Amino acid sequence: MKTLIAVLILPAALMAQDTVAPTADEQTGPARGENVGDYNVVQSWEFGYRYALVGGSQEEYRADVNYHDGIRLLGSSLTVNSRDGHGRWFDEIVLTTQGLGNDPYESAVLRVRKNKLYRYDMLWRQNDYFNPGYAIAGGEHLQDTVYRTQDHEITLLPESAIRFHAGYSRVTQDGPALTTIQEFDNKSPVYPVFQNTRQQFDDYRVGADGTFKGFRFTVQRRWEYFREDSAYNTTQGIDFNRSAPYRGQTPGWMGNLTGEFKWVAINARATYAGGRGDFIQNDSATGLDRFGNMQNQQIVVTGNGDRPVTTGDFSVTLFPVDRFSIVNNTSVANIRMSGNNAFAELSNGTPLFNSTDFQLLTMRLVTNTSTGRYRFSKRLDVFGGFSYSDRLIQSYEFGTSAEQTNHTKAGTAGVNWIAVKNLRLHLEGEIGRNDNPFTPISLRNYHAIRSRAQYRARALTLGARYEEAYNNNSIQITAYSSRARTYSADASFAARSWLSFDTSYSRLHLDTIGGIAFFQGAPFAQLTTGTSVYISNLHAYNLGARFALGKRADLYTGYTLTKDTGPSFPLTYHSPLVRLSFRINEKLRYNLGYQYYGYHEQFGLFSTYENFHANTGYTSLLWSF
Amino acid sequence: MKLVLLAALTPLLLAGQSNHYVGSQVCRTCHPDVWLNFNRNPHFQSIASGDLPPEKTGCEGCHGPGGNHVAAGGGKPTIRAFSQMGPEQVLNACLACHSKDLSRVNIRRSEHTNADVVCTNCHSIHKAATPKFLLAKRQSELCYTCHASIRAQFEMPVKHRVNEGFMQCTDCHNPHGTFSGRKMVTEAFDNEEPCLKCHVDKRGPFVYEHASVRIEGCMACHVPHGSTNAKLLTRPVVFTMCLECHNGAGTFGRDNTGVFLQSASHNMQDPKYQKCTLCHVRIHGSNADPTFLR
Repeated sequence: MKTLIAVLILPAALMAQDTVAPTADEQTGPARGENVGDYNVVQSWEFGYRYALVGGSQEEYRADVNYHDGIRLLGSSLTVNSRDGHGRWFDEIVLTTQGLGNDPYESAVLRVRKNKLYRYDMLWRQNDYFNPGYAIAGGEHLQDTVYRTQDHEITLLPESAIRFHAGYSRVTQDGPALTTIQEFDNKSPVYPVFQNTRQQFDDYRVGADGTFKGFRFTVQRRWEYFREDSAYNTTQGIDFNRSAPYRGQTPGWMGNLTGEFKWVAINARATYAGGRGDFIQNDSATGLDRFGNMQNQQIVVTGNGDRPVTTGDFSVTLFPVDRFSIVNNTSVANIRMSGNNAFAELSNGTPLFNSTDFQLLTMRLVTNTSTGRYRFSKRLDVFGGFSYSDRLIQSYEFGTSAEQTNHTKAGTAGVNWIAVKNLRLHLEGEIGRNDNPFTPISLRNYHAIRSRAQYRARALTLGARYEEAYNNNSIQITAYSSRARTYSADASFAARSWLSFDTSYSRLHLDTIGGIAFFQGAPFAQLTTGTSVYISNLHAYNLGARFALGKRADLYTGYTLTKDTGPSFPLTYHSPLVRLSFRINEKLRYNLGYQYYGYHEQFGLFSTYENFHANTGYTSLLWSF
Repeated sequence: MKLVLLAALTPLLLAGQSNHYVGSQVCRTCHPDVWLNFNRNPHFQSIASGDLPPEKTGCEGCHGPGGNHVAAGGGKPTIRAFSQMGPEQVLNACLACHSKDLSRVNIRRSEHTNADVVCTNCHSIHKAATPKFLLAKRQSELCYTCHASIRAQFEMPVKHRVNEGFMQCTDCHNPHGTFSGRKMVTEAFDNEEPCLKCHVDKRGPFVYEHASVRIEGCMACHVPHGSTNAKLLTRPVVFTMCLECHNGAGTFGRDNTGVFLQSASHNMQDPKYQKCTLCHVRIHGSNADPTFLR
């Protein structure tokens, strides 16, 4: 039986992994787990040591990869299930972790469930990432930015007609972020500097849903709070202090009504989010100005802003006959940014009159989409639709009011066809027109094609895909054209019980041409016009191969190559890896792995090359009990 | 040959006979491999519950009454076998129970459904690779099965950390469809740009909004999956991207007279002016400076 279980589980467990560790997917120990009282327990823990040897640009490595040396709990998995579905306090616990102990990507996922009574989900994540450094960092770029997020969600009476939900999320971010100093007048140079930033976001939510006469009604109430406390102080050159606390809150609600009947289904939603932010920025500076005169200056900006967002959606699906369905959806969204603020400036103790108005911006978007679908047979169906949107934008900026509208019309059509057994084909096209795009790069005259073929047999999966998205936003004065084409092919083959492959190749082509205007030259810059041409030909190759070496060892080898052949900005990024796992006994495996990262850019922007290479690896014990 | 004959004749033999429910314990007799770990399967709670009608209980809750199947000694024609069902039938079968959740209310108009990608294309009820959601593979691998070009984007030097296991596709997308429609992206706070779920500091409101952020969304400047730019910009170099909009031409921008031209005080031959966001650090919006300097 254990052999049968292993045969069933191993192929799934051995699917491709992109990072060199953890290896916890390899099956260890009896898949049935251990019975402990009324529960069945399956667990595995992978402890190990990770190392990294980096050459070249440390900054780029830390921005892109960021693995370091150290002992880790590379991965763990625990499931506890009641054997009869009638556990006293719970019927299921699922806990998985990754990278605990200072990996840059750490996470823990927990689910606890008691049938009929409750379901609790928790997700905790931490990412230490390098805020890409610049030459001006002055050593502060050695700080990592730490990003943490946690989500908690509990559902009471999950299988009953009326359910209750409550949740809490928190996002925090600590680390350096760029700001600027410009003293003592607006002709002075602007100095970018790093300031320490701490951001915290808390989200509380409660809700319920219930069923009544075939309809399901959901209501949710949310409160979000955001705070940012950033500060910068220096005594170098000038004595400068900045404090810029920000407090935001977004209370809101959502209601949803859905129902599905024999020939009709409806779905309606209304939401409101009343965003508000209160801010102060206090800059004070003492020192020499650009002419060498002693100056002191204080600028205080205070105010608050409102950002209510209201949306409504209503969709109706009709099934007049078995073969035919039609969906109509209408969406309305309204967003408005307005507020009050005050600006005060003291220069050498003298108040200066300066003021500015909150720059009002509102947008109202109405969209209606209809899609019909006809199924000729189990093997062939076609669909098509039409979408129309109307957008109104109102603006008040620097004392000037403006209003504009634009309309987008788009049509889609597609077909799904099972040409022969196991071979599925999908082809879809879209064409659209916008009469007044908001920016020079927005969609104006565009079309898109998406197609895919997939062959799926027992041990073999083959796929091919082609997509293109073209947009032309050229008008009389300026030109913009964007053409993106994507080709990809992939294959998975489980050749033998001890051998499987997984490979893919993609080519992403993008060429854009845009009319640009800028100033250049010294001492007096002259206006220059021209075109910006960007061409990227990205080739991405991925290969993974798995071998079962006898009864005790599993070998995984992989290779990824990302190569942009340009010609605008050519670069190569590749990463071979190998991982070996030995089964010591039924409960213990020994693993080791190696992964190389090589980054090589050929465009040498600003005469600097951020190239790096890194040899990383790990060794670990995977213990299941 | 016997199996083929059995499969061909069974529907004829059973024609006219009424089917009936036999209970999951009967199924267990011939399908011990499926039953073996079924107590870990979320569907097991339909059996544990003990008070659900037979058409919603255990094996027959999904596969239909097994009376004929048992009488015939097995065979796919005598049971509701998902491998033999068309996409719409699969969808209808699963939604009979799973239409309750808010996350699935748009499934019938989702892009996946339009492409005939339905429940069993991603979920494996009996051989799941993940204990939660019963996915057939680890989530990113599952999505890459069809979206190989997206895998290519996540293998760029700079990317959201999906391959590293820190994030998942479903952090931003709902594969069951969304209200927003395109690309099945899930909205923040039920009605906002999805990126704001994590990048909360970009929400504002700001005294000086970068209008394109609000009107066109984050993807006017960013490619979320992967990029050669450290800030996931659409171009490897920031100034080329900025200048494509800030050319002062056309009927674009807030007041339909073109997006502001780049400043005449900047000599773009000087590399320091080519790093726009080195100085315009509050590019998403600022409360203190109209040019987003602080």
